[in-house]
Amino acid sequence: MKDKGETTLVVGGGLAGMEAALKIGQAGYKVILVEKQAVLGGVLGQLYSSFPRWEDPQALLNNKLQQIQQCPQIMVLTGMSITNAQRDDKVYIVDLQGINQGDIRQIRVDAVVLATGFELFDASVYGEYGYGIYPNVVNSLEFEAKLKEWGSGHSEQIPPKSVAFFKCVGSRDRSKGKPYCSKICCMYTAKQAGIVKDMFPEAKAYVFYMDYRASGKDYEEFTRSVIETKHVRYVRGRPSKVLPENGKLIVRAEDTLMGVPIEVEVDMIVLAAAIIPSRGTRELAQMFRAVTDEYGFLEHETFNPVKAGDRVFFAGACGFAIETQGAQYQGAAAAAEVIALFNRDPQGGD
Amino acid sequence: MTEQRVVSPEELFPEVPASIFLFRSCTGSMEYPGTENAIKEVMNKLGVNIVMDPDQTCCSGYLLTCSAHKPEVSLAVTARNLAIVEKQNLDTYVFCNGCYGYNRELSHIMKHNPAYMQMANDVIAKQGYKYEGKTEIHHVQELWYRLKDEIASKVVNPLQGLKVGVHYGCHYLAQQYHILDDGGYPTFHEEIIEAIGGTPVFYKERQLCCGYSVGRGITHKEVMVQPHLYKKFKSAKEAGVELITTCCPGCNVGLDREQPNLTKRYEEEFNIPVIDISQLIGIALGVPLKKLGFEANTVPLNGIINRLGLERGESSL
Amino acid sequence: MPREKYKDKADGLYKQVDTYNLVENLETCLACGKCVGNCPVASLSPSYNPRQIISDVLNGDAERWLNSEEIWRCFWCAGCATVCPNDIQFPLLMMQLRYRAVEHNYGLKYIMPFKRFALRAREDGLTFAPSEKGREKIKRYRSNLGATPWPEISDRAKAEYKELFDLTGATEYLNNTSDEAEKPVILKYTEGRIISD
Repeated sequence: MKDKGETTLVVGGGLAGMEAALKIGQAGYKVILVEKQAVLGGVLGQLYSSFPRWEDPQALLNNKLQQIQQCPQIMVLTGMSITNAQRDDKVYIVDLQGINQGDIRQIRVDAVVLATGFELFDASVYGEYGYGIYPNVVNSLEFEAKLKEWGSGHSEQIPPKSVAFFKCVGSRDRSKGKPYCSKICCMYTAKQAGIVKDMFPEAKAYVFYMDYRASGKDYEEFTRSVIETKHVRYVRGRPSKVLPENGKLIVRAEDTLMGVPIEVEVDMIVLAAAIIPSRGTRELAQMFRAVTDEYGFLEHETFNPVKAGDRVFFAGACGFAIETQGAQYQGAAAAAEVIALFNRDPQGGD
Repeated sequence: MTEQRVVSPEELFPEVPASIFLFRSCTGSMEYPGTENAIKEVMNKLGVNIVMDPDQTCCSGYLLTCSAHKPEVSLAVTARNLAIVEKQNLDTYVFCNGCYGYNRELSHIMKHNPAYMQMANDVIAKQGYKYEGKTEIHHVQELWYRLKDEIASKVVNPLQGLKVGVHYGCHYLAQQYHILDDGGYPTFHEEIIEAIGGTPVFYKERQLCCGYSVGRGITHKEVMVQPHLYKKFKSAKEAGVELITTCCPGCNVGLDREQPNLTKRYEEEFNIPVIDISQLIGIALGVPLKKLGFEANTVPLNGIINRLGLERGESSL
Repeated sequence: MPREKYKDKADGLYKQVDTYNLVENLETCLACGKCVGNCPVASLSPSYNPRQIISDVLNGDAERWLNSEEIWRCFWCAGCATVCPNDIQFPLLMMQLRYRAVEHNYGLKYIMPFKRFALRAREDGLTFAPSEKGREKIKRYRSNLGATPWPEISDRAKAEYKELFDLTGATEYLNNTSDEAEKPVILKYTEGRIISD
């Protein structure tokens, strides 16, 4: 039986990172899972609901956390980040530092999986939408937090009477944002709009879109159910301006399917801001000599969609915007790559 | 988009210029000569030297955009005017959004399209000029913002909370690069107004066009421009605006001269005087009212003058 | 109105309109409608819609806009270009649509007042100088505030300005602009709309 002495470093404790750590650890190899925040979970931990089955993301998270706890091969280091990495023959020597305590460590690992996830593009460049100017204009992650608050039943905030969702804020925008499509916003916007109607049946929900992209199993049906059974109004037109009037917000757009400019009065606006790699991804990639593209996403090698460099793999939204299930697939794929690497290239312990 | 769209005033003017070339505005000279005078007086107080040149002609953009003639002559005229400024080794400062937009746009076209630059230079070479694309085009409103603190320190007639609604106009904020604020939610004029003691009012139709820019006020006055201006003034009135400032004599014409017609057509009083922001800064800095030329305004400023308790001087307003 | 047969003469007409190569990225239009939402004219004139005009230009269909009243209503506020996610300079396209219309003798009534202004500006070296009677008032206002009665424009400036008009063919173009053969323009993008003006 081959000695499983290799150690893998997994950077990022979101779903992709947790999945990669689990599959490598459950195969019998040692894993060091490093997470910048104080807890594991990443964006998954911030979600109130999921598409396309309206399942509770906490259940998935708890399932992963439990498995991690039960896997002795995995060492979890939260509140720590990577400060430096150096290559020594077939090994990476990596320096870690605690965010608050200043706890400093150095580790030697035989492979690395980068799974640092995403954050949202700063929508305040769109002065016309008033993000950062009007208090009731929020981005989708901030709105998800509000949904959690309303859903907990302990919220003191008055629920909104009408909410407008703007899609493609920063995506598909060569002028002030990113030219690419952030892939998941059409689906999560439908989810959020549907939840608003479930929580507050009297409220109005509008989604302003250019297209809606629902390519996945049950995705189209999900979106149609939000429109047809939950009665969310979809208006085709990218909003031009948001103006305050009498404590409310006026959205100016064109209903392009009718060819008419319209004004809609709402209480709250949710911006589906573009997905960008979380800060520090580029620097981290440089430390491990992995390639990033012009937007900072990790670039994969030809014929290998989860490999970013020599003994370096990646998974999840640090490679490009991806939904929950996709992050899970990629985490498992990166784990498989690592295990294949170790079995192709035997390495004695250290 | 590789160049940065919005820059800070310190990036735009690393150093405050000692001398600037003030580009004469046709509408300014004809309709509101007080604006040019106000700029000269205020710049004097701030220690900036103003250079003008009698050889400079109209920027020739207005008639281009009204489709009276084709771009070639406007390109050549722009090249000639900017060549005159370049000979003085200065940057061009306009005080009209129209001059800004046209000079900027046309010089951008020439700087990025060698064929057009060649064409323009071939024509003006016959008169002994050569345009190299060196002079930067600025608007005095940018300099006011850069010198906001100096202006605030020299205020002698603070505006006592006067409710001022800003009209930015279209052609400055519509430019693509190197402007002070985003066209989405500009605030730099409001900051200047606060600095001189006014109360800026963010009325709903603050960013609506004045409607005059390409002569639609001549071709489509009743059908388009008047209903359009009515919306703007109604919004300003509802928000309690007492005075509107502009930074373009063209916008000033559109907003000031049309008010009596609006009152007649819609049977509603507005009485909101419209002046250039340079003139308002002039008032705050103690420039004598006579030199600010308010007799050229259609909507009289008597109410404002009384409210602020200012000396009228010998001339009537 | 019989169902329109989709005319696609795509290749060619786009460049026939954009002869000055100022709007080279027109095909990046996503038809998102951000321009129309911001347009002051669209909110007043039900049939004016920049997005639909761009669509016609890309399809190579001049039938609607060429003799339309709509293209003469744009204010050139550039509100469209300011919000466009692809930075399409729609006003520069509009300028060229108007040139094409004039070449076919449409919309001349909207040009003739500016022909007069242009020919007068050519003499004065500046635009909007009024007639003699109007000049008296201006000279008085200017003198009152301590400026020169008339803006200081040198004779050399006026002569060279005039010469530039002649050298670039603008004088000839202006003199030839005539509404003798003018053909009428009407609102064309009215299908399905309620038009009240």
